[in-house]
Amino acid sequence: MELIVALGVIVFKVALLIAILLLLPLPLTWLERKIAGHMQQRMGPMRVGWHGLLQPVADGIKLLTKEDHIPAEADRFLFKLAPILALAPPFVVFAAIPFGETVSVLGNEITLYISNLNVALLFVFAVIGLEVYGVIFGGWAANSKYAVLGSLRTCAQMISYEIPMGFAVIGVVMLAQSMSLLDIVRAQTDVWNVVYQPIGFFVFFVAGLAEAQRIPFDLAEAEGDLGAGFHTEYSGIRFALFMVSEYVVMVLVSVLTVILFFGGWNGVLIPLPPLLWFLLKVAFFVYLFMWFRFTFPRYRYDQLMAIGWKVLLPLSLANIIISGVVFS
Amino acid sequence: MSRALDKAGRWIGWAFFADLANGLALTFGYMFSRPVTMQYPDKEKWLPYSRYRGHHFLKRDDEGEIKCVACELCARICPCDCIEVVPYEDEKGNRRPAKFEIDTARCLFCGLCEDACPADAIALGQQYEFSSFSSRDLVIGRDDLLAKPGKAMTGGGVVAARLNTERDVLVEASEPRGYNWWRNIRRK
Ligand code: SF4
Ligand code: SF4
Repeated sequence: MELIVALGVIVFKVALLIAILLLLPLPLTWLERKIAGHMQQRMGPMRVGWHGLLQPVADGIKLLTKEDHIPAEADRFLFKLAPILALAPPFVVFAAIPFGETVSVLGNEITLYISNLNVALLFVFAVIGLEVYGVIFGGWAANSKYAVLGSLRTCAQMISYEIPMGFAVIGVVMLAQSMSLLDIVRAQTDVWNVVYQPIGFFVFFVAGLAEAQRIPFDLAEAEGDLGAGFHTEYSGIRFALFMVSEYVVMVLVSVLTVILFFGGWNGVLIPLPPLLWFLLKVAFFVYLFMWFRFTFPRYRYDQLMAIGWKVLLPLSLANIIISGVVFS
Repeated sequence: MSRALDKAGRWIGWAFFADLANGLALTFGYMFSRPVTMQYPDKEKWLPYSRYRGHHFLKRDDEGEIKCVACELCARICPCDCIEVVPYEDEKGNRRPAKFEIDTARCLFCGLCEDACPADAIALGQQYEFSSFSSRDLVIGRDDLLAKPGKAMTGGGVVAARLNTERDVLVEASEPRGYNWWRNIRRK
């Protein structure tokens, strides 16, 4: 009996998480277009629903009913596989992400995470790394020069930015003496890591921008020079899958930033429910992503590489050395 | 000394991404500024300046008679040759137009007809929504020019937005003297 209840709870949590993550792009696209509009003194979507609130739904219906086009020369199997490969890893990563401490509902202890891996951080980085396969396959299978160029760029970008990103969190691991995200958050009850690790935060956040392929590092899908990069040839539902994965990665990077550097669900000053604190912080970073997008121009490719290898990598290495000396 | 300070300041600014922060502050400010968008057919409508030259209309005098004396001066001066006037004599013995047609498809809205008219009978109003699917519909006859709904009364002012399919409301233009696009655009 207990086993069944435990199993049921896990299944419920997984289903809830997947549903939330799948539906998340709807409000996020609306928000992004509104923010874009108002930053450019426009109004953004206004027609469908109150202040365009139903616009994402209309867009979704449009995408679902569009022709699912596959280019004649494409590698059909990889072409169909790529969006799924891009979508699955960000979802898998969320299995290891805690949203709060244990709460008790109806006398049952329910944990606000699906699993508490003791190597969660490693797991997160390993699985995020897989996402790049979707992008590479997508670009390659489409057999279009723009798509291939887009994937090549993504490939190089991911390799150069995942290294500093991984190094940047070593300081956090040193502070918490653990790789479990739960322990990392618990270690920040008094002081958030960003106080001890400003450089680490900076490197992580910039690399995270690159990882989520957001402006100013969205070279893989630079509309201006590449059509749309790796998803130039995608249409309809497959394109929608790429979009969903992009938004989920954006949320993921925000969540990771909050957990690793901004104390997770630990609040300051105002006593709010921990989960609310957590969501507020994540929302702030999501907003930051959008704010950046409509403020900065895109970096040139050589600048992107220079920032990755000449600025972020040395900075993250220096951060490790300094943290090692100071905190040991 | 001050140059050195300047340089140091600039270096500090560069190291802490002062320029990026500047850009962010600017966009943040814009986010809470008033949008310049005009929600054209549904909610708002632009009322043109009073000197705007839009759709023509013919005026009536105090007794409700058409003012035009069919002198054909407007037809003569029109650079596009798009006015056709055919005179006749009415019961009172006045010369009036039997036929008065303006081909607005050819008209370039120069306003010369208005200037040339000795009887102050024709004028260009403010209506600008009269596109049509056929150029033949754009040939406007005498009665239409006289009787465009509310046209002569409002001085040819703007009437309801035609693209609005839901309600047949008269859209209030918010600024009677014309819309100043530049007012809402902040500049340094
Ligand atoms: S506005 Fe100019 S072009 Fe148009 S009818 Fe009058 S004179 Fe002719
Ligand atoms: S509108 Fe004026 S200019 Fe033209 S025919 Fe009539 S009176 Fe003459």
